[in-house]
Amino acid sequence: MTGPSLDDFVEMPDEVDDETAEQLADQATETQDMTGEVCPYPQVEAKKAIQTLDSGELLVQETDHVPSTENVPRAVGDDADARVWRSGSGLYRIFLRKR
Amino acid sequence: MVSNVLTALVVGVGLGVFLQKGRFCFVHAFRDFFAFKDSRVTKAVLVATTLTMVFWSIAYALGYYQGFWTPDWGLTGLLGGFVFGVGMTYAGGCASGTLYRAGQGYLHFWLTLAFMGVGYAVFTVLFPTLESAYFEPLTFGTGVTLFEVSPVPAPLLALGVAGLVLLAYATIVGRSAAGGAGGTDDAAAVRADGGTPTSRGLGASAPAVGLRQFVAGTREYFRGFAEIDDWKAASKRPWDPRTAALGITALAVLWFTQVSIVGVTGPEARWTGYLLQQVGVDAGSYEYWGSILFQGKGVGLTVDMVMIAAVILGAFLAAFWSGDFSIRVPKRRRVPNAVVGGFMMGAGSRLAPGCNIGNIYSGLAELSVHSFIATAGIIAGVYAMTHWIYRDVGCAI
Repeated sequence: MTGPSLDDFVEMPDEVDDETAEQLADQATETQDMTGEVCPYPQVEAKKAIQTLDSGELLVQETDHVPSTENVPRAVGDDADARVWRSGSGLYRIFLRKR
Repeated sequence: MVSNVLTALVVGVGLGVFLQKGRFCFVHAFRDFFAFKDSRVTKAVLVATTLTMVFWSIAYALGYYQGFWTPDWGLTGLLGGFVFGVGMTYAGGCASGTLYRAGQGYLHFWLTLAFMGVGYAVFTVLFPTLESAYFEPLTFGTGVTLFEVSPVPAPLLALGVAGLVLLAYATIVGRSAAGGAGGTDDAAAVRADGGTPTSRGLGASAPAVGLRQFVAGTREYFRGFAEIDDWKAASKRPWDPRTAALGITALAVLWFTQVSIVGVTGPEARWTGYLLQQVGVDAGSYEYWGSILFQGKGVGLTVDMVMIAAVILGAFLAAFWSGDFSIRVPKRRRVPNAVVGGFMMGAGSRLAPGCNIGNIYSGLAELSVHSFIATAGIIAGVYAMTHWIYRDVGCAI
């Protein structure tokens, strides 16, 4: 991150479809159940977990907190590539692959 | 009165929709900025507050307004604001965030609301003592807005402040653009070698670079609307926080011309008195509810109470439409966050007085002296609490 600039106003993680989400969930090295949690705990837990993973390994967070789909990826920043799956009924999965 | 209720419904539902779709969260705005320099929502708050200030100053100058909210100023703003800031960070939602997330189906935030109510009630009972032990010694001056005391006409003053905000913003953006990835190091080096021609050149061009980026970004933002081919699908996706900022500004202008400035915890404290009255408590006999919040007019429904209830409804509609509505049951370990955080928000918002909306959004937009102090207190509270919550992983600022 190079500090504040206007383009990071609207930066969103890529969304994945249902099938990809299932495939990714099977590959997970670690899965965190973050349902019923609110900010910033999913961010803190994601940062902790990413530090313990090896490059290429996948962390999955299951969450029902909408803002987490944006600020968890931003919290881990350059440490991981993020993708998000939206169920359409208030449940989300955040996939973080460590770089 | 009927038109006021209608306005309250339109403004409340509209605010609920924009807050929910823009994930417009004051805790996020400051916490994530301190924790990992995420300034997206911080900028949206800045945009909303600055635009609202400009429009309100024009409405004031033209006489189309119903009054300002200017509590007496002093250390109460700093202390109460700090308690509120710690509370909202711990609870995970500010006064407005708690409302729209309640509408989105979070039982966590209904619990937060309930304990904010406990905070208002405890404060009300203790008010006679607090008045002599807390408010009197810590209040230094009569509440005032710079709009009323400035020799410069209010719109000019507001445009001047907006210009300064934009210039400061452009300078920061320009500096980081000029410095590239190592921006902070370069800036430090520039400061260290002081008055060399290069550093002066950089300092002068930074605002220009930043302004160009600002103009380009704004243009790109509006061009984005032209590229939407499927409006229905777009409306279901999360909206740019700037869209929320623009929508909130428009509604705040409507509210300012028809009713008052936008507040959340004041009406909530009235709701607490009103609901207790319904179950047999003589709320009006308490000095704080009777003569201050309800101003001796009796404990009943007021338009701003209708407005904030409508925020919950608007957030529900927006979340339902987007597929983001569901009843969310909090994890047991998060219950203390809702209970303690909610209580601190309720009590803190009375001690300040005012919440993030009353002080950071409306208070700064009306240039109220009290709100400058309370805003500093709230932000200090968020800063302290963010560092505590992030103690294992560290904060960027």
